[in-house]
Amino acid sequence: MTADVIIQQLVNGVTLGGMYALIALGYTLVYGILLMINFAHSEMFMGGAYVGLGMLLLLTSKSFPAHAFFTGSAFGILVLYVIVFAVAAIAIGILGMVIERVAYRPLRHAPRLAPLISAIGVSIFLQNAALLWIDSKAIPFPRVFPVTPLVTFAGASVNSLQILIVATSLILLFVLDTFISRTRVGKAMRATSQDREAAGLMGIDINYVISLAFFIGPALGAVAGVFHGMYYGAVVFSMGFIPGIKSFTAAVLGGIGNLRGAMLGGFLLGIVESLAAGFLSTGYKDVVAFIILILVLIFRPGGLLGESVVEKV
Amino acid sequence: MKMRNKRVLAALAALVAVSMIATGCGGAKTADTGTDGAAAATKITIGIGAPLTQGAVALGQGMKRSANLAVKQANESAAAKDAGITFATVEGDDQGDPKTGVTVANTFASDASLIGVMGHLNSGVTIPASKVYNDNKIVMVSPAATNPALTLQGFNNVFRVCTIDTVQGPTAAEAAYTTFGYKTVVVIDDSTPYGEGLAAEFAKKFASLGGKVLFSEKTSDKDTDFNALVTKIKAAKPDLIYYGGIYNAGALLSKQADDAGVKAPMMSGDGCYDGEYIKLGGTQVEGDYCTSIGLPVDKLPAGQAFIDAYKAEYPTDDIAAYDAYSYDAANLIIQAVLKVAGEQGADKVLTPAGRDAVIAAVAATNTEGVSGAISFDANGDTTNKAVTTYQVKSGAWTPVLVPGE
Repeated sequence: MTADVIIQQLVNGVTLGGMYALIALGYTLVYGILLMINFAHSEMFMGGAYVGLGMLLLLTSKSFPAHAFFTGSAFGILVLYVIVFAVAAIAIGILGMVIERVAYRPLRHAPRLAPLISAIGVSIFLQNAALLWIDSKAIPFPRVFPVTPLVTFAGASVNSLQILIVATSLILLFVLDTFISRTRVGKAMRATSQDREAAGLMGIDINYVISLAFFIGPALGAVAGVFHGMYYGAVVFSMGFIPGIKSFTAAVLGGIGNLRGAMLGGFLLGIVESLAAGFLSTGYKDVVAFIILILVLIFRPGGLLGESVVEKV
Repeated sequence: MKMRNKRVLAALAALVAVSMIATGCGGAKTADTGTDGAAAATKITIGIGAPLTQGAVALGQGMKRSANLAVKQANESAAAKDAGITFATVEGDDQGDPKTGVTVANTFASDASLIGVMGHLNSGVTIPASKVYNDNKIVMVSPAATNPALTLQGFNNVFRVCTIDTVQGPTAAEAAYTTFGYKTVVVIDDSTPYGEGLAAEFAKKFASLGGKVLFSEKTSDKDTDFNALVTKIKAAKPDLIYYGGIYNAGALLSKQADDAGVKAPMMSGDGCYDGEYIKLGGTQVEGDYCTSIGLPVDKLPAGQAFIDAYKAEYPTDDIAAYDAYSYDAANLIIQAVLKVAGEQGADKVLTPAGRDAVIAAVAATNTEGVSGAISFDANGDTTNKAVTTYQVKSGAWTPVLVPGE
């Protein structure tokens, strides 16, 4: 194998990993605070893709007054995409909060399996809702954002969309990390994750903190969903399942409950998958990814960066 | 507070339950297409087995529309009224999934008025379902399942009006190598019986003609990320990519290859022959090829009459790849039922002897359908082996190699 192919596969892997990392953050954030795996998170990803697609189609349709502005110039396209991502993130963030209020909060003191089953129920409900009310067929994602190779080195090329995905992922990860570690609210979230009851006694509004986690996680998932639609070109109701499982794996790989771990796990999983698909066979990519997960869990049961979870307990 | 929480939970559970029922995991929905017959008319049901909500939905919905059209026309015909038979259809959504397909088959088998099944689409679904139909003396005519293994199971009730992969794959290879002059190829399949079978037949013939298969690789029919594979393809620099699979994944593969700067066009089989392929792939799939069974509908002997009737019934829908075949498949079952009813009486059709007679009548078919002359060999395969090659030109599948032209 030549160097250009290896570099190209790394580029593919980092792009895929950026999306996994964004989704994995949602799993890990909720787990860190509630010790609960939100299986409906893959549907937040799917929902984000639909909302983003809907916004894009609406804003660029001929009947929309400002469509010429949004498709005409580079600045217009930039504004368009900021709006598309913001609306998708906010809408799905609110959806996440509603789901928490309706399906998880009543079960907060129930045995731990109950909210898990509730989450699976929500996931099936949302998937079928999209199937019935939107479309059973895949909807193509229009290409308004120009995809051109921007950087070329050693025969490998990186296109504008790949750079956008990785840069956005890294910026969001950095912002979230700073938010959690530097701000008062972040401190409250960390306190809640360490000991919910004690945090409550110290005057922290637990419901607010949990709602916030259920806003941020799904919002990041929604951003990943829009990217997924743009990058692969199609949105379909069942699209959340596989990336959801992979990102959950990434969160576990990095150490569930740990934000930087989720990020590391996401990028690692994406890279391993791409290299395995490129150098072994596409059929083996999941095999290799999961063998690595098993090995990591055997030798480091808490995941790669899992110690902080142990410390806090 | 406690009570309210319980109520919220109960409401949520009810919502989930309703959504699952409404989606109908393999559930069947009966559509009586003609009830204006005599009160004493015997109701004979024909099952429509196709992916209606998941999988190759565009193709499956087309199959459903065509079979319903055939049944509607049959009910309006004098022959059915004279025979004292009212036909009805029942839809079974197999979701392109083998397990769901067997559930659908069992649901069909439990319907005492069901004589035959028009379906299914995917070979992987049709093969296990055909076993259920064989156990229950239900005649099955598939308009679309092309894997050779289907008719080699020794079942006397299994027929198909489409030609098989051992014909389609080699025809595609000849077109690619001889006609279009592609000398090297990368062969990809989607790990389903359909995709694997077709890709293997293509690769075998392509190599025997003197072409070079650079490498072969398996993907999943649910994959969306092909970038790693595309990078590998780009490094191998093939003249052509051959893909055995369905349009959902196929269009994404071709699109991602184009984005990565792979110049080679993609060729695929009948599973990609649908407008959805172009809708999903956009301008990036321009120049791609596919083969599909039979002749283009408008070149078929009775094609125009079918197109007119179809447009009258479904003004907003386009004719999909298997529609003419589905229409023919449903009509074969209808004709066989009417023949047996004429010989033994309408009330005898659903008896075991009547069911055997219907199977025998389908086997003895020798007729002109929309898709051309239809008759079956000893296995139940059609003797009509036409395969047409299409290419995406200006955003539409355009026939480029039509047999007999």
